[in-house]
Amino acid sequence: MTYCFHVGICLCLVLFQTTVMPYFHLFDRFYDLLSPFVIYLSLFQSLRQSIPVILFFGFLMDSLSGGPFGLYLTTYIWLFIGVKWIITFLHVGDSFLLPFIVAAGVLLQNCIFIGTIAIFEPGTQFLSAAISMATVQVLWAIFTGPIFLMFFNYSHGKWNKWLEKVFAKVNS
Amino acid sequence: MVMIVGVIVLIAVNIILLSVSNRRYLSYYGPGRIAISLVAPFQEAVSSSIRFVRDIWGHYFFLVKAAQENDNFKKALNHAVEINNLHKELKLSNVRLRSLLNFRKTIKDKVIAAEVISKDPSPWFKTIMIDKGKDDSVKKGVAVVMPEGIVGQVTEVSTHYSKVLLIIDQNSAVDGLVQKNRARGIIKGGSADRCLFKYVLRKNDVAVGDTVVSSGLDGVFPKGLPVGHVSGVIKPNSGIFQEVSVTPYVDFEKLEEVLVVLNHKKHKF
Repeated sequence: MTYCFHVGICLCLVLFQTTVMPYFHLFDRFYDLLSPFVIYLSLFQSLRQSIPVILFFGFLMDSLSGGPFGLYLTTYIWLFIGVKWIITFLHVGDSFLLPFIVAAGVLLQNCIFIGTIAIFEPGTQFLSAAISMATVQVLWAIFTGPIFLMFFNYSHGKWNKWLEKVFAKVNS
Repeated sequence: MVMIVGVIVLIAVNIILLSVSNRRYLSYYGPGRIAISLVAPFQEAVSSSIRFVRDIWGHYFFLVKAAQENDNFKKALNHAVEINNLHKELKLSNVRLRSLLNFRKTIKDKVIAAEVISKDPSPWFKTIMIDKGKDDSVKKGVAVVMPEGIVGQVTEVSTHYSKVLLIIDQNSAVDGLVQKNRARGIIKGGSADRCLFKYVLRKNDVAVGDTVVSSGLDGVFPKGLPVGHVSGVIKPNSGIFQEVSVTPYVDFEKLEEVLVVLNHKKHKF
């Protein structure tokens, strides 16, 4: 059932990102909405619950995007590993740290993207544009990332409560 | 007999009194004043109460009805506005589709109209998804165009949908010509929704504002389709090529419908 919740949330995020957000120029340089979700998974969910979702949505995003296939998958896996590593010495319960964790995640994603483009498209003159885009995305992440994390956590709690009620009704 | 006379007399006196009272107006200080003073306050109170109730009825209960009518009118107005917007959208859509249709007549190859359904999830790459796929005879590598100019190339095809790589993507390349002097080069995707016109020889006279069209030599895009206009030229002191930047004619932010060229005949070299 947790998988259903994760898949539902991710599908909503993908649809929102690819169909709704392009209509608003404000979000032209918004970060990948699945990044905070991957961070949420690594912060609050177990490895068993996270890995299948990350693999599935990495594959899905790679199919939708024009980038080299496997780029999103790579990014999400590294993001997941990176955050799992960070939380070994940082206390995640401290909400003060959340903006910086999301920003670090988005920065890592941008670094992987820039590195990939630089490797596969040598000679491309995009450094200034890349720095500007990465900066804007990181700023967006600092201010909006924690909201997403809290929303995911809150909705998951609600989902679990709702499921408990449903099962209790079915059993009684 | 006496009784009859008495009644007659009484009637006569009554008639006389009535006729007298009819001719003389009673003054304000007459006996009626007392009765008026006694009764009028009650009359006033009752009348006021009636008016009060009537006003409440008229201004409250009636207004409830008016408010309901107002709500209904608002709903009708919103519905009308919605229909009006729909008509405006249909009108704009009609203009765009007419433009596509007119453009379609100018292309000799078989084309199919497609609708843009989504954009690339990453701002680093420039692709769109269209609602036509294998079932509509769309194949990998075919050109996607607009009346304004070239849009891109189909890179992936599924049964009902296709992914289109836009010419502003860094992985895209189109063989192009400067329209006025036929200077040749490769139009590559650049940054900030612009393209780079690469490998244009230094000796060619290219100026800002010149139109760049497809050469047709890449075997993907039909010859002579507009791509964009030259927006910057840098002639370095050394080297055999000049740096030319091109701004595409197509506004990729506002893409809604496109034409997919299905059976473009490739040039034989």
